[in-house]
Amino acid sequence: MWTSRRLVLAHLWFAFGSFGAALPLGEWQMFIRSPLHAWISDPEWYYRSVTAHGTTMAYVFPTLVAMGFGYFVTEHALQRPMVGLRWAWAGLALVAVGTVMAIVPVALGLASVLYTFYPPLIGNPFYYIGVVLVVVGSWVWVALMSINMYRWKRDNPGAPVPFPMFATVAGSYLWAWTAVGAALELLFQIIPVALGWRSTIDAGLARVFFSWTLHAIVYFWLMPAYIAYYTIVPRAIGGRLFSDTMGRIAFILFLVVAMPIGIHHAFEDPQIGSGFKYLHSVFTALVALPTVLTVFTICASVEIAGRLRGGKGVLGWLAALPWRNPIMLGAALSFVMLGFGGAGGLINMSYQLNATVHNTQWITGHFHLIFAGAIVIMYFVIAYDIWPHLTGRALDSFDLMRAQLWTWFLGMIVLTFPWHWVGILGMPRRMAFYDYTDPAIAAQAASVTMSVVGGAILVLSGVLFLVVLARGQTAPRTEPATYRFSVAVRPPRTLPAALNGFGLWLGLMVGLTIVNYGFPIAHSLVTPGTAVPAVKVGERW
Amino acid sequence: MSHLSTSDEGADRGERTERHWATAAVMILALMVVVATFAALYHGAMPQSRVETADPRTLHLGGEFIESNLGSALEPDGAVIVRFIGQQYSFTPSCILVPTDTPITFRTTSADVVHGFLIDGTNINLMLVPGYVSSLGARFETPSERLMPCHEFCSVGHEGMWGRIKIIDKAAFSRMAAERRRLSCVD
Amino acid sequence: MIRERIASLRNPWFTASIGITVAIALVAAVVGFVWLPLQHPGERFKGVWDAICSASGLVRNAASSAQIVRADYLTTSVEIEPQMLGGASAESIGRGATLALRCTMCHGARGLSQADTPNLAGQYPVTIYKELVDFKTGARGSAVMAPLVADLSDADMRDLAAYYAYLPRVSVPQPSAGEPPRIVASGAPLRGIAPCGACHGEVDSKASAAWLEGQPAIYLRTQLEAFSTGARHNDIGEQMRNIVRRMTADEIAAASAFYAARQ
Repeated sequence: MWTSRRLVLAHLWFAFGSFGAALPLGEWQMFIRSPLHAWISDPEWYYRSVTAHGTTMAYVFPTLVAMGFGYFVTEHALQRPMVGLRWAWAGLALVAVGTVMAIVPVALGLASVLYTFYPPLIGNPFYYIGVVLVVVGSWVWVALMSINMYRWKRDNPGAPVPFPMFATVAGSYLWAWTAVGAALELLFQIIPVALGWRSTIDAGLARVFFSWTLHAIVYFWLMPAYIAYYTIVPRAIGGRLFSDTMGRIAFILFLVVAMPIGIHHAFEDPQIGSGFKYLHSVFTALVALPTVLTVFTICASVEIAGRLRGGKGVLGWLAALPWRNPIMLGAALSFVMLGFGGAGGLINMSYQLNATVHNTQWITGHFHLIFAGAIVIMYFVIAYDIWPHLTGRALDSFDLMRAQLWTWFLGMIVLTFPWHWVGILGMPRRMAFYDYTDPAIAAQAASVTMSVVGGAILVLSGVLFLVVLARGQTAPRTEPATYRFSVAVRPPRTLPAALNGFGLWLGLMVGLTIVNYGFPIAHSLVTPGTAVPAVKVGERW
Repeated sequence: MSHLSTSDEGADRGERTERHWATAAVMILALMVVVATFAALYHGAMPQSRVETADPRTLHLGGEFIESNLGSALEPDGAVIVRFIGQQYSFTPSCILVPTDTPITFRTTSADVVHGFLIDGTNINLMLVPGYVSSLGARFETPSERLMPCHEFCSVGHEGMWGRIKIIDKAAFSRMAAERRRLSCVD
Repeated sequence: MIRERIASLRNPWFTASIGITVAIALVAAVVGFVWLPLQHPGERFKGVWDAICSASGLVRNAASSAQIVRADYLTTSVEIEPQMLGGASAESIGRGATLALRCTMCHGARGLSQADTPNLAGQYPVTIYKELVDFKTGARGSAVMAPLVADLSDADMRDLAAYYAYLPRVSVPQPSAGEPPRIVASGAPLRGIAPCGACHGEVDSKASAAWLEGQPAIYLRTQLEAFSTGARHNDIGEQMRNIVRRMTADEIAAASAFYAARQ
């Protein structure tokens, strides 16, 4: 019955393999620009590494995790073989081809434009075409998620869609829609210039398109982690999901509000009207809500587990939780990082506070804490939970798993907390080296050095993670019990149609996009004289 | 194995707590928006309210960003307009001179790719996008000298793009402005 | 089976979600497009509609009331587009070769000078073109070059640029210069000096920045000193003057010597 086992395993090995390759690059970057190393003799190496690290960690790694986990959910939540297995393999092939096509020019120094592209800087066209192929491969996954859910609904009329599938499909729709922004920028602006068909590009409009993608993409990365909070953690620790309904509402809120708020990444840009900046900042406040709701629901669900295990008292149930269970440990560590990272996000969301931290190292520290920290640790948790079902072998290096999770958490704190601090001290982003001997900057040296130590701990943790998985490939065979997702305290027997489908929410999402992005894009397109000469990189003599 | 007994009273209490939590969350978020809006109104801390264009190819040929017109200009009403440009890999003027206690407007654009700048120790932070003019209001209280790095990746020389800003006493600035129409602290 | 209609005013999910979204959007729009712009400290809008249009991002180039200060010297009149002068035709190169016959006295038969004049062989075409135009307009002063370029047309200058770009640069297998001095390899970030190679080709090339390797040391030093005093001022936006003003005399000498020895 379980037909997509090898498909899921392929996605996740590709994901974690690419993660393992990109991780040391990040630490190398940290080290090279710290006081611990002399100034690199060719700064282009640094920017090449940033491009490779960013492209892999932003476009390849989390996409593959979402896809693989999505196929896993499809079969196990809907309890039937998935439709479109061949298409799914084709989608994976597209992602693989795109990844190779993108990384080769980057590795050769022909596309050191960073994963945010930064037109009018233009690199080799194959870098961008490769990224487009990765996205197209992921859209195959989106289509399959949708088709599988709707086939199940057709075959089970009136029945509530199992929550893990509902959440997964919400995430896939969010991704499909948010990817459109960068796709428009790549297909209609950047690639024609990279191929030499045009020589000018509207950099302001390109930044608006990219902002369309740039915020909600982090929610796309977040989806597997949040799905795991709701559907794996309560079951794994012997509890129940506090509220199925609230969970659906949270994912619906993400679907509607995560995307049309991207202009908060462009508060300081001159090509966007101030009215739209304000509008986006208000809706950005709204997207904090589903996270806050999730915190309640998950804490309540965990409390249920604690009390079922005999915990008593207002906080006494915490001690009764199965802390030696890697799932419990990982989720708790994730929540701590989510708290700090989320607070940082609230700071970024207002124009007034954003002005102090924009493009400083605060921003880099923030997204490493929230994405590389809170979210990626849940990717590890997902892997630990489902790996026996993928390999048919035990995954029982529990000591290693706990050590790996603790080192990831500690490394992330040591990496990112000083990183936030140097951002407040005004350290700008993305420089290959800094002159720490100057008194104006000397205060930053200690914090940057601390971050290097944190990064080293993370590399160790990454190695441990891969060791755990590798061991899982050679462990003795087992027959794991049927995979189960968490069960709600009150599993719904029927649901309002609005909580069982997506028509209304997609309509709202598209409508909000038109309101929030329509005019800025349209007037940029019709305003003459805003296209500027492209500046090609990587042309050395 | 324990059975989950969902007593109605317990479930109701749970749902009430959930509702309180959600309400509190909405109110706190709304409060944050109100505070941000208040800061905008009370401190004038708002983004530029108009979009302006400028052609990077011809900045040096005519218009307000030619090199002789860059620098700090004392306006008849006592305010100061600072015009500067960013390019790979420096700002011009590379040292900006401004007075204390004066309303200042920075007007800037890029001659090639996207740059940005921040002024160390302040919340002055702005992007330079080729094709568009960025502007920002500011006011300095005390004399000092600060670094002004480019903070947006602008290709391989980005790490060398550091400008400076010097804030001097208002009277000293006025004396200098009487002699030259565009001021800077370039050597 | 009764199918619940979503898109119906009787569906509370429909009305509440759309109602709340619209309400938030309306309030935010009124604040963001009307109230805040009208309170903007630096702006005087001619009414609500003007404020709304401006806050939406419609291009409103401010009519410049301030006078523009003009320089008392000529700056370059060349408009640079990075890909200009690429892909020259064989005819253009041929015409350039003919024109270049008059340049060989100082610049050498194959564009490699025996004197302290710059080697032109293999130089970027945009660089050659721009300097020729600047010599002609007087943006770059040279008693020697000015009369020689006076009768060159724009097409002539493009042809010359194509020809010299086509000529091979001299190069020996082992660069004899050794390690680059720090000012060349890494610049001096807090003095606002990027590594020379970031523009001059070893790391990346910026349009109109010259290829420096193998140029006579004394020529490089003279030009750097001229940028430093402002005697040479044909660099667009003062980009070279910004850099050289913060270089010490030792650094200028070291950079010149390094590039001269690299050939």
